[in-house]
Amino acid sequence: MNHRSTAERAEYLSKRRARMLPVLAIVFLSQQATFFSTVASPAPHSAYAVKISAWLVLSIVLLAALSTKGFWLQPKEVRDLIDDENTRANRNEAMRWGFLFSMGAAIAVYALTMFDMTVTARDAVHIVMTIGLATALIRWGVLERRAHRDG
Amino acid sequence: MAERLANRLKDRRTELGLTQAELAERVGVTRKTVNTVENGVFTPSATLAIKLSQALELSVEQLFWIER
Repeated sequence: MNHRSTAERAEYLSKRRARMLPVLAIVFLSQQATFFSTVASPAPHSAYAVKISAWLVLSIVLLAALSTKGFWLQPKEVRDLIDDENTRANRNEAMRWGFLFSMGAAIAVYALTMFDMTVTARDAVHIVMTIGLATALIRWGVLERRAHRDG
Repeated sequence: MAERLANRLKDRRTELGLTQAELAERVGVTRKTVNTVENGVFTPSATLAIKLSQALELSVEQLFWIER
């Protein structure tokens, strides 16, 4: 693979990532909507375990995509180029937003329990992680799309 | 008063007949990064500013300045 094709490939993948990040966030959030709409009605233990595992696996994959260069199957030179200075800055900003929204969610859940609302530890972690990850994904997507826009 | 880092990246790049992609390739970043620096959306690191000035055959001070 020559240098030109590495640059073109990085550009193509970077644009694709900018388009995909908000979509991933929507898919992730829809999965949580399904989870919380059915969690009230008792489901068989095995079905619940499958749902929890699916959420956990998706969360870990998204967290890895957010905190590493991503594109794990691409050659190293493409991965290095795609994770250039502006991308790292955008990702750091997205992680900052994710952290702040996670803290906000944690405070909200904590406050809810003061009004006799029962939230299990598992649900609390689920809510905090979901909001943090979704926020970071959306923010990164917005920043990347803005960066690609010519002006 | 707010300060911002202004630049004459686009003018100089055009003078040298380079596209954003070609300049990006010379300094080892993506076209997106060059685009954001040109538009003033992103403030480059000292390393990138030096690489850009070398690629565009100007000093850093000629390429970037602080606007108040």
